[in-house]
Amino acid sequence: MSPWADLQERFAGALRCPERPPPVGCNGPDGLPDVKRFDVYRNNVLAGLIDALAQSYPVVRRLLGAECFEETARRFVAGHLPRSPVLLEYGQEFAAFLDRFEPLAALAYLPDVARIERAWLEAYHAADAPPLNPGALARIPAERAADVCLTLHPSVRLVRSRCAALTIWRLNVTDGPVTGPEPIALDASAQDALLARPEAEVDVIALAPGAAEFIAALASGRTLGDATECARNAHEPFDLTEHLTALLGGGWITSAHLKRRRTRGP
Amino acid sequence: MSTRTASLAVASALATAVTALAAPLATAGGMSMSGSMMMKQREHTMAELHTGKFVRCFGVALAGHNDCYAGPGTTCAGTASRNYQGNAFKLVPTGTCTAITTPYVTIVHGHGSLSKITEAGR
Repeated sequence: MSPWADLQERFAGALRCPERPPPVGCNGPDGLPDVKRFDVYRNNVLAGLIDALAQSYPVVRRLLGAECFEETARRFVAGHLPRSPVLLEYGQEFAAFLDRFEPLAALAYLPDVARIERAWLEAYHAADAPPLNPGALARIPAERAADVCLTLHPSVRLVRSRCAALTIWRLNVTDGPVTGPEPIALDASAQDALLARPEAEVDVIALAPGAAEFIAALASGRTLGDATECARNAHEPFDLTEHLTALLGGGWITSAHLKRRRTRGP
Repeated sequence: MSTRTASLAVASALATAVTALAAPLATAGGMSMSGSMMMKQREHTMAELHTGKFVRCFGVALAGHNDCYAGPGTTCAGTASRNYQGNAFKLVPTGTCTAITTPYVTIVHGHGSLSKITEAGR
């Protein structure tokens, strides 16, 4: 390892662990090792990253309370220094971290709430794309309708949860009260959420059963016929008309093309 | 369902969707939206955009993301050497999660006690 790479490695290591002394060669203006200055720097890195997480995950923070969130974030930061200079991308692994974070394991819905917040942020910053004019699909002959492939808007994100994460997110995304005098009992049934920003605002939609399979299939390039089959395998009945109307009307489809038919042998 | 029947069903659904969307705005209210998936205030958003009062601001970061943390030592919050490095913070949730009860978990408000996840009722 080159001396420079070695210094970087030790510098990053010392950033992660407050107990570690500054790396050798990290000196103050007097040329001597300066623990206090390095501590200020290390603290700033932590403070900045914890703040960035708090900005990206306001609902998780509200659910946990400021102190608990800060400590959780601090432990996350210690193991996840940024890999991109774009701070907005920081914290992508937070939900997966929460999955394995034993002290908060009882809050089974917490990782999925974090996933919704990450999806919201990604949708918010995703590229623009003009929606497909539904009229363009009128030209497709009926016998080829099942071969249509639809391209989803670049901002479309799907979050599937076995808990009521979407309801919990909705209740906490504003500053209002989440409950009356009595604790609220939330149904723990699975919830699927679609997030997308076809225009200026992020839409957050609760999906009907089968819709997540349908949209995931479309996203992976499957045809309308295949995607419908995926949805019906997951949940019967599945209202294709309703979902197509919502997808096209919502501006969540940007283009369509016909899949070439495979030529089958006799 | 045979392949042919299935593909006819897809064609019919597509045709219905396209026809519904080709009609004037009023169809949005008249569409069959029995499921929970629905168009969400799209007209409202578009109207706001068109009034010019609402400025599209793509790429503008949320608060905090634009801040340069390369040198927060210039702010008073950043001059402390250890405030985020201690281990005195509590890991007991005191936020709104204490008011949420699910079959997975109950957190007794005010106690902050975390019970083990139970699969009861599942």
